[in-house]
Amino acid sequence: MALPTRLARSAIPKLRASPLLPAFQPPQFLLPTLFAPTLHPQSQTSSYHSYEHNPPSPFSVPESAILSSALQHVPAYGFTSTALKLGARDAGYLDVSTNLLPRGVFDLVNYHLVTERLSLKDRVQFPLQGDGGAGDLGRIGVGEKVRTLALARLRANGRVIGRWQEALAIMAQPTHLPASIAELARLSDEIWFLAGDTSVDTSWYTKRASLSAIYSAAEVFMTQDTSSDFVDTERFLVERLEDVERVGGWLGEVGEWVGYTGHSVVNVLRSKGVRI
Amino acid sequence: MNVAAPKLLAKSQLLQSVRIAAKRGPYRCFSCSIHVQQQTTPPPSGQDAPRTTHFGFETVAEALKEHKVSAVFSSVASSYDTMNDLMSLGIHRLWKDHFVRNLNPGSNPLTTRSPDSQGWNILDIAGGTGDVAFRMLDHASTINNDAHTRVTVADINPNMLAEGRKRALATPYARSPRLSFMEANAEHLPTIPDNSIDLYTVAFGIRNFTNKDAALREAFRVLKPGGVFACLEFSKVNSSLFDAVYKRWSFGVIPLIGQLVAGDRDSYQYLVESIERFPSQTEFRDMIKNAGFLVPGQGWEDLTGGIAAIHKGVKPIEGHT
Repeated sequence: MALPTRLARSAIPKLRASPLLPAFQPPQFLLPTLFAPTLHPQSQTSSYHSYEHNPPSPFSVPESAILSSALQHVPAYGFTSTALKLGARDAGYLDVSTNLLPRGVFDLVNYHLVTERLSLKDRVQFPLQGDGGAGDLGRIGVGEKVRTLALARLRANGRVIGRWQEALAIMAQPTHLPASIAELARLSDEIWFLAGDTSVDTSWYTKRASLSAIYSAAEVFMTQDTSSDFVDTERFLVERLEDVERVGGWLGEVGEWVGYTGHSVVNVLRSKGVRI
Repeated sequence: MNVAAPKLLAKSQLLQSVRIAAKRGPYRCFSCSIHVQQQTTPPPSGQDAPRTTHFGFETVAEALKEHKVSAVFSSVASSYDTMNDLMSLGIHRLWKDHFVRNLNPGSNPLTTRSPDSQGWNILDIAGGTGDVAFRMLDHASTINNDAHTRVTVADINPNMLAEGRKRALATPYARSPRLSFMEANAEHLPTIPDNSIDLYTVAFGIRNFTNKDAALREAFRVLKPGGVFACLEFSKVNSSLFDAVYKRWSFGVIPLIGQLVAGDRDSYQYLVESIERFPSQTEFRDMIKNAGFLVPGQGWEDLTGGIAAIHKGVKPIEGHT
């Protein structure tokens, strides 16, 4: 397997400008007519990816002012209330204004998670896929896109990697665990969506579940990664994704074999006069 | 839920405190609420048809409520703490601790880059006995190593303030400039300048205000931009099953404890009725919003299934709404 070449290619996020994502395109003509009455610009959340509307920021102006300044203090002070207070001061607020964040430091971690997830689609853009002609440098497969996106998301933790174990500890607290897992699910959904996955069968679930597991394992691995430019993390991620492909392929083959053998057995028995 | 055990416990505590109270002195009389009612002189009402408000389940003239509430708290001031422990089975201490810990008052001088930091300026409204004020000063000093944060305890009732002053003698803050007491009506605080307070707290007090909206507007005025309004108050229980048990306790047992321990059934009857009349979490959240505050998250945090709730509001900074 040509691992080094692939590593080199995926190491650089494809930053070529492209006006449209090459992702799954729903029948556009249906959207305005069918869904227009329910699309409110001020609606807080939508459970689907909309091509027409940029979803409103999940943070209010004061919240993002405090949290974005607080993130600048994370490398020095960690994910702590001190970083929050310093951030509030930088944003022109008082120390006491950190009470605007009901979950305290978890809101700081959550802000990092959400903003990095939402900026993924702007930071990583794939070139528009051509018609597969001679000039086309080969179509980028969904698997490779997933790898690139997951890696770009991991690299976004690079700025705060020295403090990321603290963040993981905060996320693992029982009160915050449900919100953390939901955010992980949204991230893997975002990655599969941006990669152009169009599956509508049960693999929709297994893909997201396995990516979530791999991503969180790679995140933990990255906190201990001392290699330059996180090369080891990248290798870890690539190998785990390959493992899943291999296991998935193996499971598929086993399923095929079981199905074939079962049918054969039934048919042999029927030919012997057994009423099945 | 096992109600029998706490009841038994309460009974033994109750007997003990009756004994203590009996030893303590002559101020205690079983008829002091009647006494207070006789003393109460209704204030002169300027209008022919005075505006009315509620006093527990009664409807009284707005001008009269202040006096009635004042009478209630004058009569309960001395046994306030014992009564709170008995009525809430000690849980009110946990609520107050959580309230203060969550607000995290005080700025650590090690992480403060400006050396002239003066700590927080905290106004504790209706904090007569100093319960929350001492906790905040303790938190600022021991958790945040902040020796500058100061608290002004304001209460409309001089008897409650006297109780607080007495208790302050047992704390390190009695003669320090970090703690001061003032008699004031929360609806009108002329001695406090605009934009001067970092944190405005009111624990189990706003229920008794005649005009809650006026008090909220006054809080908005005195707070600095970015300052926080924080309120710990009884609220509505979420689960109907737990609510039934809680109603039994509050309407059946609390006035009885009041009668036995404080010698004052009527004051505690008022207490439980005023809890019942206080707006629900969402209504009060909307009142805070209407006063101009930003509310964090959903706007409140339930304590013990909603028996009490912490409401917060942040005064917005210009251009950051």
